[in-house]
Amino acid sequence: MSTGVVILVAIVLAGLILVVVALVRRRGPDDHVDSFRRQIDALSPQARRPTIGTMKPPEPPAADDDGDDAP
Amino acid sequence: MARDLAIDLGTANTLVYMKGRGIVLNEPSVIALNRQTGEVLATGREAWQMIGRTPGYIVAVRPLRGGAITDFEITERMIRLLLQRVGVSRFTRPKVVICVPSAITEVERRAVTDAARRAGAADANLIEQPMAAAIGADLPIDEPVGNMVIDIGGGTSETAVISLGGIVALEAVRVGSFDIDAAIQNYVRREHGIAIGERTAEEIKVAIGSADPTPDENQAEVRGRDLMSGLPKTVLLTPEEVRFAIEDVISSIVASVIRCLSKAPPELSQDFLVRGMYLVGGGGLLRGLAERIERETEVPVRMSNVPLEAVVLGAGHVIEHYEALKGMFMGARR
Repeated sequence: MSTGVVILVAIVLAGLILVVVALVRRRGPDDHVDSFRRQIDALSPQARRPTIGTMKPPEPPAADDDGDDAP
Repeated sequence: MARDLAIDLGTANTLVYMKGRGIVLNEPSVIALNRQTGEVLATGREAWQMIGRTPGYIVAVRPLRGGAITDFEITERMIRLLLQRVGVSRFTRPKVVICVPSAITEVERRAVTDAARRAGAADANLIEQPMAAAIGADLPIDEPVGNMVIDIGGGTSETAVISLGGIVALEAVRVGSFDIDAAIQNYVRREHGIAIGERTAEEIKVAIGSADPTPDENQAEVRGRDLMSGLPKTVLLTPEEVRFAIEDVISSIVASVIRCLSKAPPELSQDFLVRGMYLVGGGGLLRGLAERIERETEVPVRMSNVPLEAVVLGAGHVIEHYEALKGMFMGARR
């Protein structure tokens, strides 16, 4: 009898946990809008400036590394 | 704590961008191995210098062809060594974003991500090269306007129309600057009867190669091995000959650009006339190519300020804004 109650309580608890997890992970329409907005904002010129604008590409390789087979 | 990385795993060169630091590595995608023991002898520039000049027991190879991995094991070893050079170890496993040609197959995608994971990455995601190139070339892809980017790499040429952070139209051909080198090699062999190496062919392309006639053209002395006598021989090569030699490759690239233009929605097409198309990639540096594309499409062509680094800079931007931009990874689109 007591074992049956424990199993029942465990099943109910597991069910509750699943419901809570599902609710937390559920994404409403606003989440997609926010996600798209964040993506577009991250692609704006202002967001890209620190990566691209201030980037100094590495020095081009020295042209002396194969002087003997030049055409 | 590992710093996350963006990798432009190109057929010709591999570039690595480190989060917060910028470009930390730019080396040819070449590895030199001991043929007998399988030991790695050199990677990157050091290995590139060995191409065509190795004794029998050493082989210097490019493990990628046409933007795809041709030898999984060697590619994995090359990536592992390159990652070690930027500080990745078994204790620092970074997240990695890798740029790949948009036309690669599912099997090829898996080969790239598996190679990166086995080389030390905690997580590996892929992004299409034209998308990364558009971000890196600083095109306004966040706006609802037509942005067109032409990325001519060592093994692939890709043209994409991008608007609002997504690819609208795409055209890719597995033809690139290595095919131009091969065409020059074949021409010199066929018409002049001398054999030249791939590095010499590349130097001819850089010295006198062009897709359209240009001012100040000069002839070039080409030294190779006479096919009949086996002796060293010098011949003169003209720019017209080189243009004739590479015509098929250039036509194929221009045709793919035209196909992409024809796929674009009309609302975006009109933007190209004003904004032009942007050329990136090492192949785009070929003299007269921008003019040739412009002449055949009647759309202005502009060169990116960072043609060789645009792809890795774009992927670097994605790694800097990983959470916001993870929806741009291949296979992640909703």
